[in-house]
Amino acid sequence: MLLEVANLTVCYDRALLINDLSMVVDTGELVSLVGPNGAGKSTLLRAITGLVAWEKKSKRGTVGGDITLEGRILFNGERIDRTPAHEIVKKGLIHCPERRRPFREMTVLENLHAGAYLVKDRKEAQGNLEQVYALFPVLKARSKQISGTLSGGEQQMLAIGRALMSEPKLLLIDEPSTGLAPISRGEVFEKIRQIAQLHITVLLVEQEVSTVFKMASRNYVLSSGKIIAEGPGETLLQNEVIRKTYLGL
Amino acid sequence: MIQNIIINGLINGSIYALLAIGFSLIFGVARIVNIAHTAFYMLAAYFIYVGFGYLGLSPYVAMPLAVLAVGLFAVICYKLFIDPIREHEAAVLIATIALAMVIQEALLIGFGGHYLGVPPLIKGYAEIVGVKVTYQHLLALAVALLALFGSWLFLMKTKPGLALRSTAQDREVANLMGINEARVAMLTMGISAMIAAIAGAIVVPLFVLDPHMWMHPLIMMLAIVVLGGLGSMKGSFVGAYIMAFAEVLVVFLVPMGSFLKGSVALSIMILVLLIRPEGLFGIAFEEER
Repeated sequence: MLLEVANLTVCYDRALLINDLSMVVDTGELVSLVGPNGAGKSTLLRAITGLVAWEKKSKRGTVGGDITLEGRILFNGERIDRTPAHEIVKKGLIHCPERRRPFREMTVLENLHAGAYLVKDRKEAQGNLEQVYALFPVLKARSKQISGTLSGGEQQMLAIGRALMSEPKLLLIDEPSTGLAPISRGEVFEKIRQIAQLHITVLLVEQEVSTVFKMASRNYVLSSGKIIAEGPGETLLQNEVIRKTYLGL
Repeated sequence: MIQNIIINGLINGSIYALLAIGFSLIFGVARIVNIAHTAFYMLAAYFIYVGFGYLGLSPYVAMPLAVLAVGLFAVICYKLFIDPIREHEAAVLIATIALAMVIQEALLIGFGGHYLGVPPLIKGYAEIVGVKVTYQHLLALAVALLALFGSWLFLMKTKPGLALRSTAQDREVANLMGINEARVAMLTMGISAMIAAIAGAIVVPLFVLDPHMWMHPLIMMLAIVVLGGLGSMKGSFVGAYIMAFAEVLVVFLVPMGSFLKGSVALSIMILVLLIRPEGLFGIAFEEER
């Protein structure tokens, strides 16, 4: 298993966000994680990439700094739940965060360079840049532009491109289509499909269930911090309760 | 007169710019309002005084040594006093005020409240468009501009500079790039103190030293970052020259102007806060969840 989450529990103060959750992602899969707002999808991704632990450490002793993180997270068979976020990246587990979050005052190219921060070899970084440009020609055209002035769709491309710069083995993408125009959404989904074809394992969090179920090989349905269903899209859609209650279809 | 205004404005502006950029840097990266920033500047000046006057070092040795020593001192202070309470912004503010006071009092005990001086590195003067400018002033201007250019190169063209800017823009996402945000904050503290120390080294031969010399630059620096926009490097740079020229104009043109120079800075600061609170180049910080 590439990624294995076992009995994970996350509490912020007294709010139980992830409740004894277990899940796996295998090499080469495109797995989706769907569920209503506030189900804990983003928190799960943040826990996997060490951001919850980072928050816990950096907010110790402050209001809202009372964070509990229990359970095991394994990446490539290695425990990472005690590893600092910036070192998890080195292992090839990259998180493309919610709301895109580009470095807004920096140019597109600088953002991409920041993504390759850990790539020591210049040639290798240049090669990665070429690959990202090949996948997202729009980024090449706008390489000198300040990233805060890009459109939402372009910012999403940038966020994914930035994540690809460090040669991920597993890419976690958090709600890439949220807030985008329909045409940009289609484009973003198409790019994610292409990334999956490059043999990069993807764990995709999305609201747009109908599209993701067609793309993903396996899906997890999350509600109130628990996995309540798992399987291929068609199977999940056949289940009346899940379809109506959790997916709103 | 006009030449005097230009030369003095440029020199003061460059020194203020060095101070304000360092202050913006550590605020941007770690959200630390470092009131002790100009105390580091003063400390560098005293280190040079000691190295030159007591230890008999050449100023060319004493100055780089002082800059390094202040950087190291700042990093140690950060680890001991600021890092453990970093998430409590008010506590950090108070800690840096306390640090500045401690430095001031330590210098007061060690050297007394006397005015001290370091002789100029080079003597003589040049005549530029009919006004006599000492070589020391020209050297100060050249070094200040060089240091500003060096800081710009470091920030814009190097990998640590990129890490620093990334952290300043989004501390959390910087983690996801593999940037060790805690270490970047510590390094930034050292770098910003070293830039302040360079400013201190530049003014040593021009100004007199006393344990309260950190106060006036502190007020100017705070006014500058309010004018330029807190956390904006460009704002700090432009604001520094605006403030320096405003100050020099008042000193030269208004009768008894030198008594008013502090109030000019504060008046500009109040005006900016009333009219454009985000400053000239203010940036809205991305909300961290």
